[in-house]
Amino acid sequence: MADKLRHKAGMKGSQRQLATVIDLNKCMGCQSCTVACKNIWTQRPGTEHMRWANVATYPGRGYPRDWQSKGGGYDAQSNPAQGELINLVDAGDNLQFNHDAVFHEENGQSAHLQPTTSRGEKPQWGYNWDEDQASGSWPNAFFFYIPRKCNHCSNAPCIEACSRNAISKREDGIVLIDQDRCTGHRHCVEACPYKMVYFNPVTKRSEKCIECFPRVEQGIAPACNRQCVGRTRAYGYLDDEDNQVHKLVKRWKVALPLHPECGTEPNVFYVPPMSTRAYDESGRLTQEMRIPMEILESYFGPAVGDALNTLVEQRQRRKRGESSELMDILISRRWEDRFAQFTNEPV
Amino acid sequence: MRVQRHSYDSAVLADGRAPAWGAIKEQEITLIPAPLTRTAAVSPYLSRQTGHGRIHNLRARLAHDGTTLSIRLAWHDPDKDDELKDLDQFTDGVAVMFPLAPGASAMAMGAREAPINAWFWKADENEPFDVFAEGYATSHRRSGADSGLTATGYHDQEHWVVVLQRPLTNADDRLAGFRPGSPSAIAFAAWAGSNKERSGQKSVSGEFVHLTVDA
Repeated sequence: MADKLRHKAGMKGSQRQLATVIDLNKCMGCQSCTVACKNIWTQRPGTEHMRWANVATYPGRGYPRDWQSKGGGYDAQSNPAQGELINLVDAGDNLQFNHDAVFHEENGQSAHLQPTTSRGEKPQWGYNWDEDQASGSWPNAFFFYIPRKCNHCSNAPCIEACSRNAISKREDGIVLIDQDRCTGHRHCVEACPYKMVYFNPVTKRSEKCIECFPRVEQGIAPACNRQCVGRTRAYGYLDDEDNQVHKLVKRWKVALPLHPECGTEPNVFYVPPMSTRAYDESGRLTQEMRIPMEILESYFGPAVGDALNTLVEQRQRRKRGESSELMDILISRRWEDRFAQFTNEPV
Repeated sequence: MRVQRHSYDSAVLADGRAPAWGAIKEQEITLIPAPLTRTAAVSPYLSRQTGHGRIHNLRARLAHDGTTLSIRLAWHDPDKDDELKDLDQFTDGVAVMFPLAPGASAMAMGAREAPINAWFWKADENEPFDVFAEGYATSHRRSGADSGLTATGYHDQEHWVVVLQRPLTNADDRLAGFRPGSPSAIAFAAWAGSNKERSGQKSVSGEFVHLTVDA
């Protein structure tokens, strides 16, 4: 037993850790990351429902649907917390559109473009079904986008959960599922609190974001990060003091993990949304944030208040004409500055 | 348990409905939910699972004709799960296990230097698997076609009937072999897909029991 425990620990550890920072103040929900990923990795049979990279509107049911209430990760005592599986509809289904009827069969005046589910039914849910659906109440409605992918956690529960030792962490921190070892038991899907592991019903194996490792090995940033048109993303090793990831996470402490309470030590970090200002009852603009602090804390943990204060302070410095390293990083005038040594061209 | 010598063509016994099976004595095997606490080192998530073990017994008929071992397993399972219809569904299965070395543990799926070989039938697969394992999380599956392991199964009136067949002997030390007149040992496992049973979440017969192979 002791041998096996050490073996498992060896599969979880890594020398270094690649990490992504995403600035939620700049994400506009354009899905370029989603499309970039899907075009490369999930157009194979059985992967139609998968969005290894995805963006959803929050607060909302998210993607996969209701993932935040499906358990997994670790409890407050660091014990494994049981989780649930997701189904095809939760995962966005494989909706088909009647393109032929509308565009090619001269029915354009009578046929309307409409989706059907993989079971040939009218869909009741799908990817981004609740896109841009706001919370709060008028005139202080609010929402923000959260782009997600596998967090390549430092304390990855998927590795712990796999009963076949099919999941391991590389020396650069990337977590991979060995498709030759996996037999599709889906303990990893249950254990991942982010529900970023997907089952492929054709190969009968589980799959997830591979952090574009063939690109990373060539010095090319993962497609989701590289294709972000909003320049919201930074990428690099977390311990490299010269790169933006380290500066935003470690030095400025403005980039925070999502749901840190799950105990998995995720490695995608978010600059929290600064929120637009709220109106008071008489319709006057106040200095209050529209997004309630308890909502932000429920996503990013108790450190979010300090992170927002830092962001506000540095923005005010800039407004006064003073310099701010933090604002310079977040403005991102040169995209190359964001990706450390991962700026090679993909072609 | 006993493997009964018979004079039928083993090809006839490949069909679980074949009347010839009536001449082979049925033996009842009681199953219990697999104890998972011992899997904690491999998967602390799996080790905390409960609620598995829906299949309570198997009825087995074991026969050989001097060249082929035929095992017919029948069990009650009102839900026929032979297709993955959604991402949260699992399929039915059954397995027989043999030790490849003296002292191998069925409950631990073998150990280093004391491996096991299992014949694993899954309702959604065309061919059974040969499983080789030296403990939890070490199992390797390969297609039964490599060793001549075949299986047929049907579901009728809330029951599965599965027949597994393989030549008695082989030259592979990762496969169980049998010699008429020499004893062996056997254990059983079954999975109810509708109860989300897979991997260690299964019903098991317990440790290996003595298996007499008629001369």
